[in-house]
Amino acid sequence: MIKRNLGDRILVSFFWISGLFILLVLVAILAYLIWRGGAFINIDFLLGSPEGYPLGSEGGILPAIKGTLWLILLALIFSIIPGLATAVYLSEYGRNKRLTEAVNVLVQSMMGIPSIVVGLFVYALCVVRLGWGISLLAGGVALGLMVFPVIVVSSRNALLAVDDNYRLVARALGVSESYIFWRVILPRAVPGILAGILLALGYAAGATAPIMVTATAIIASSSGVLLEPVMALPYHLYILFNEHMSLDNAYATALVLVLMLVFINALALWLHSIQERNNA
Amino acid sequence: MQSPLKRKFRERFFAAAVSTIAALSSLLLIAIVFFIFQESLPVWSNVGVLKFLSGANWRPVVVPPELGIAPMLVSTMWVALGALVIAAPLGFGCAIFMAEFAPAWLAAVIRPVLNMLTGIPSVVYGFLGAAVLVKFFEVTFDLASGESLFAASLVLAIMVLPFIVSNSEVALRAVPDEYRYAGLSLGVSKPYFVLHILVPMARRGMLGAMVLGFGRAMGETMAVLMLAGNTLLVPTSWFSKGEPLPALIALELGSATPGTPHYQALFAAGLVLLVLVIMVNLLMNIFLRRVQSGVNKF
Repeated sequence: MIKRNLGDRILVSFFWISGLFILLVLVAILAYLIWRGGAFINIDFLLGSPEGYPLGSEGGILPAIKGTLWLILLALIFSIIPGLATAVYLSEYGRNKRLTEAVNVLVQSMMGIPSIVVGLFVYALCVVRLGWGISLLAGGVALGLMVFPVIVVSSRNALLAVDDNYRLVARALGVSESYIFWRVILPRAVPGILAGILLALGYAAGATAPIMVTATAIIASSSGVLLEPVMALPYHLYILFNEHMSLDNAYATALVLVLMLVFINALALWLHSIQERNNA
Repeated sequence: MQSPLKRKFRERFFAAAVSTIAALSSLLLIAIVFFIFQESLPVWSNVGVLKFLSGANWRPVVVPPELGIAPMLVSTMWVALGALVIAAPLGFGCAIFMAEFAPAWLAAVIRPVLNMLTGIPSVVYGFLGAAVLVKFFEVTFDLASGESLFAASLVLAIMVLPFIVSNSEVALRAVPDEYRYAGLSLGVSKPYFVLHILVPMARRGMLGAMVLGFGRAMGETMAVLMLAGNTLLVPTSWFSKGEPLPALIALELGSATPGTPHYQALFAAGLVLLVLVIMVNLLMNIFLRRVQSGVNKF
C-alpha cells in the first residue's frame, strides 16, 4: 500500500513538473532575451541602418524590419483570397463529400510541407525559371504558399463554428444562400478569420528557411522594389550570429522578433476568444 | 431592388468562383510535388533511387559527381527521433497534467503559453540553442565545438513539445466521462485511472500527436542548420555531427548552378524529404480521423 502511494506520488509529481516545465521554457526564453538584448534596443537600433565593419556589426535594423513588413504584406496578398475562397468552399459549398474530404486532406498535408521545400519550389519556379532572381516578390510567393493552408484551416474552422441554427432560421425565412453567407454567417466568423490571418502573419514573419533561398540578402535597402533582394529580421538574426558579426545585436534582434510575435499571437488568441464567445 | 434573375446569376457566379479557386488551390500541393519531381528527374534516371538513398558520398561538383544522401537521411531520422524521445514523455506528461491534474486556472495559463511557444520563430530557437546550449556543452565537456545531433534534438524537442501537448490533450479530453466515473467508483486511485484507463483509451490520438511532432521535427530547417554541426559524414552516435536534409538544401541551393547534377540532386533530396513528411502526415490523418469518429477504440 505504501509502495503504491509512493509510485503514485512520483507519477503525479512528474505530471506537475512537465506541466510547469512548459511555463518555465517561455519565461526563461523571454527573460534571457530581455537580459541579454534589452539594453541594446533603443530608437537608434530600431530606426537605424546597419553600420560598422563588417556591415551589420553595428548600427540598427530598420531595413530588416521594413523587409519583413514587405514580405508579410506580399504573403498576405497572395494567400488571403485563395485561402478564404477555399475555406468558404469547404464550409458552405462542399456538398460533394468526397471532394471536400480530398481538399481537406490536401490542405492538411500542405500544412505539413517543410518550409525549406516551399523555398525549393519557389526557387526553381520563380527565381530560376521565371528569372525573377533572389527577390522580394519570390519571397512573398514562398511565404504566401507557406501560410495559405493556415488561413484555409483557421477560416474554415471559424465558419464551421457558427451555430447552424442561424442558417436554418434564415433559410426558413426564405433568404437567399448568398445573403445568408454574407450577412449572417460571415459577420459571426470575422473574429476567428482575423485571428487566423494574424496567426499566418506571425508565421510568415518568423519564417527563415523559405526566404533565405528566395528573397534575402545580407545587406539591402528593402525599399519595396519587387525584383530586388531584401533584408528580413529572422535572416538578419541568423547572419548576425552565424557570421559572428555581433552577439549583442543578435540578442537585440531576437528580442525584437520575439516580442513582435508574442504580441501578434496574443492578439490572435484574444480574437479567437471573442469568436468563441460569439458562438457559445 | 435588383431583379431576381440578376441575383440568381450573382449567386451562381460566386459559387462557381469559390469552387474554382478551391479546386485550383488544392492542386497546389500536387503542383509542388510534380514540379520538384520534374526538376530532380535526371537524378532518378542517372543515379537510381536506391543508390541515391543509400550512397554514403556527397560530392556533387566533382566529375563525375557522387550523389548519395545516406548521411543526411540518417541525420534527419536521428535528429527527429531523438527529439521525439525527449519530447514525448514530457509532452504526454504535460497533456495528462492539463487534462486531469491542473487546477482550471493553471491549465488556462498553460494553453496560451503553448500558443506563444509555437509562435516563436525557429531561428530564435536555433540561435538560443547555439548561443547558450552549444556554448554550455563546449565549456562543460571541454569540446572544440559543441554542435551535435543531440544539441539539435534537444532544441527540436522544445519546438515540437507544444504540438504534442495540445494534440494529446485533445485526445485525452475526448475520452467519455463514463469511463472516469466507472473507474473512480471502483475505487482506483487517480494515477491508476490515468495509466490504465485514460491513456489506453486515448492511445491513438496521442500516437497521432507524436507522429505530428515527428513530421515537424524532420522538416525543421533553422534549428538543425545552426545546431547539428553540418558535416557530410554518416553519424555514428547521437553525439556526432550531421547534416539533416533541410540544412543541406538551405546551405547548398544558392551555390548550385541550375541544370547541373548538383542542382538536380538538391531537388531530389527535397523530394525525398517531402515524400517522407507527406507519408507521416497521411499516417497521422488516419490516426486522428479515428479519434474524431467517436470513442478511441482499442
